[in-house]
Amino acid sequence: MFELFKEIRKAGDATIGYPFQPLEMPAGFRGKPEHKERLCIACGACAIACPANAITMDLDDEQEYITWDISYGRCIFCGRCQEVCPLYAIVLTTEFELAVRDKADLRESCAYPVARCSCCGKPYAAAKEVDYARRVLESVGGPAAADADAVSLCLACRRRDDALAFQRQARVASEEGGAR
Amino acid sequence: MTKKNAALRSGETHVQAVRDAFPGAVLDAAWQASDQVTITVPKDMLPDVVEFLYYGRGGWLPNMVANDERPLNGRYALYYLLSMEEADPGFVTVRTEIDPHSMEYPSVTPRVPACVWSEREAYDLFGLRAQGLPDERRLVLPDDWPSGLFPLRKDSMDYRRRPEPVTDVENYEFLYEGQAEEVTGVPMGPLHITSDEPGHFRLFVEGEEIVDADYRLFYVHRGMEKVAESRLNYDAVTFLADRICGICGNAHSVAYAEAVENAQGIEVPVRAQYIRTILLEVERLHSHLLNLGLVCHYCGFDTGFQHFFRVREKAMDLAVLLTGARKTYGLNLIGGVRRDILDEQKLATIAFVRELRSDVEALVDMLMSTANFESRTAGVGRLDPAIARDYSPVGPCVRGSGFARDVRFDHPFDGYRYLTGLKARSHDGCDVQSRTLVRVEEFMDSLTMIEQLLDGAPGGPIQATGWRYTPHKYALGYTEAPRGEDMHWAQVGDNQKCYRWRAKAATYSNWPILRYMFRGNTVADAAIIVGSMDPCYSCTDRVTVVDVKKKTETVLTKQQLESYCWRRTHSPLAGKGA
Repeated sequence: MFELFKEIRKAGDATIGYPFQPLEMPAGFRGKPEHKERLCIACGACAIACPANAITMDLDDEQEYITWDISYGRCIFCGRCQEVCPLYAIVLTTEFELAVRDKADLRESCAYPVARCSCCGKPYAAAKEVDYARRVLESVGGPAAADADAVSLCLACRRRDDALAFQRQARVASEEGGAR
Repeated sequence: MTKKNAALRSGETHVQAVRDAFPGAVLDAAWQASDQVTITVPKDMLPDVVEFLYYGRGGWLPNMVANDERPLNGRYALYYLLSMEEADPGFVTVRTEIDPHSMEYPSVTPRVPACVWSEREAYDLFGLRAQGLPDERRLVLPDDWPSGLFPLRKDSMDYRRRPEPVTDVENYEFLYEGQAEEVTGVPMGPLHITSDEPGHFRLFVEGEEIVDADYRLFYVHRGMEKVAESRLNYDAVTFLADRICGICGNAHSVAYAEAVENAQGIEVPVRAQYIRTILLEVERLHSHLLNLGLVCHYCGFDTGFQHFFRVREKAMDLAVLLTGARKTYGLNLIGGVRRDILDEQKLATIAFVRELRSDVEALVDMLMSTANFESRTAGVGRLDPAIARDYSPVGPCVRGSGFARDVRFDHPFDGYRYLTGLKARSHDGCDVQSRTLVRVEEFMDSLTMIEQLLDGAPGGPIQATGWRYTPHKYALGYTEAPRGEDMHWAQVGDNQKCYRWRAKAATYSNWPILRYMFRGNTVADAAIIVGSMDPCYSCTDRVTVVDVKKKTETVLTKQQLESYCWRRTHSPLAGKGA
């Protein structure tokens, strides 16, 4: 019994004054994901990786905007989005106080304009993503930079162009072969 | 002779023994991993073969997995998983195919009682009927579920659909197995679930003595296996598995990941294996402290409860440090882990371990010198070793009854392969006290393990790369959760999803023995007995007590039962139903 009292005395106060005092979480704590909409290129990697489907991407009816959306109510704070993001545009913070009065406040979204194919006019990717791809290709330089123009085409048009180019090449090769 | 045996694949001797004992029974034997073999036997031979391996070759049965393989081979299949723990340790799975026209198979339960819950579940979810199964009541599905709808059949339903309830009343029949006068038609009180998880216990008593008990769970069955099959990609299921349990989720996550890795032949980097093991042990620290706290609570030593929980908070802080979350560590991926343990974290962990060791040693001394502890736990909730052998319970429950069964030592995996100087703990008092002592010793062992693992972890990558995905391969994954072994059986499909995932939590193996642990004890001991099992919850939220002589029933609240457990005077049954 005496030991017990000694232990109680030794332990002192185990609690802290939270919520009247702040509660600091260590670095590396997986809290609320913070989306930096300026860095984001709306590539959708996080939406694919998210196991809980907390992050979704939707194209509007007019196909003019693609909306990145997160629901903190669904988020499981696993941090997969942070891992897959190519631009560090989503980072888990140490913030954990997420309670809201209105359920709608648990959502955050951001709309990005969609680029249309310079050939067929169909929407095919977020404009920022296209822009990012172009800048990367240009900064690499060399033969890659020559392809920078092709990023303004949708996948179908690019495939068709590639197929036509290949056909032309094959034809030239066979004509050369015939001439010899 | 031993040399020759060593050259054989693990499980080869068991397969040969089955071939010798039952000529023609083994239609096929295939190895899924170095320690896992599946033999296919004809349906009629099933009970014989399982019984032979169980009692004749030192097998224990974690569970059975039913699978709808009609899209693959036109049949249903059952997989009886057996953990061989004597000679030639490893896992032998007995598989049998069932014709979709008959939908019947001979029940193994009369020969090996450990199959009972799995066979009941196979009917609920697939409609496969075990002929001769002594207990054919529903297990998993609620009473208001339509009788012809078997949710896990591949062609039955979308996972988002909820069928209309077919009944408004709970019609589950609680069974009384005692010798005293028969009890019939006992109406149940309304089931009000407040904060704890729900479970309905029914104690059959004579005066104060419990003569039998029956209970029903699965009120919060979440259909996770169905969700994993339909909604999630196979590589996201580790995160779902993390959420099977709020206490030991990491053990499930690792077990699932390893089931897929074993099936696909993925070599997990050694550093990742060490990290997984360290996190499994960190999880055990907080879980065992929680249970030790609860033991104090049930003994009426609430000061001890508070102090165990105070110290437990350090184990939680350690988890935050290593994983970034108090629970749901979420660090497993197929092929490895997501977060490394850095040098500064290693040093901090060692400091935490030292602190925990001295703190808990002091608290345990306090608990042991409390007069209440001895008197409230010794000889209470006896689990007969013979019952334990029949039902294959796991964890501190079975280790408190003299069986040193522990997956970490029986089938060493991951970092457990590299540990030295430790062995599975066991006590043979068969009572609440023994189970508690096992937990105390295991807690100290976990601290030693963490130190050894941190020291021994080699450098290197933490995720495997460059492996091929092969559909329809299946295997087992297993871990020793704080409550006993978690056994996952996973088969991936050709669509990047689980074709079938069966997650067996430790407590699933322990519930069937609870009624035997209750028998012969007083109502006052009920709470501490449930608590000693350390079920994923120990909320005897509402207990209906039936007096078999007086034919009355009383519904006790959790508070009443707990306070009676502390004071053991002022029985809440006094004066009722006279």
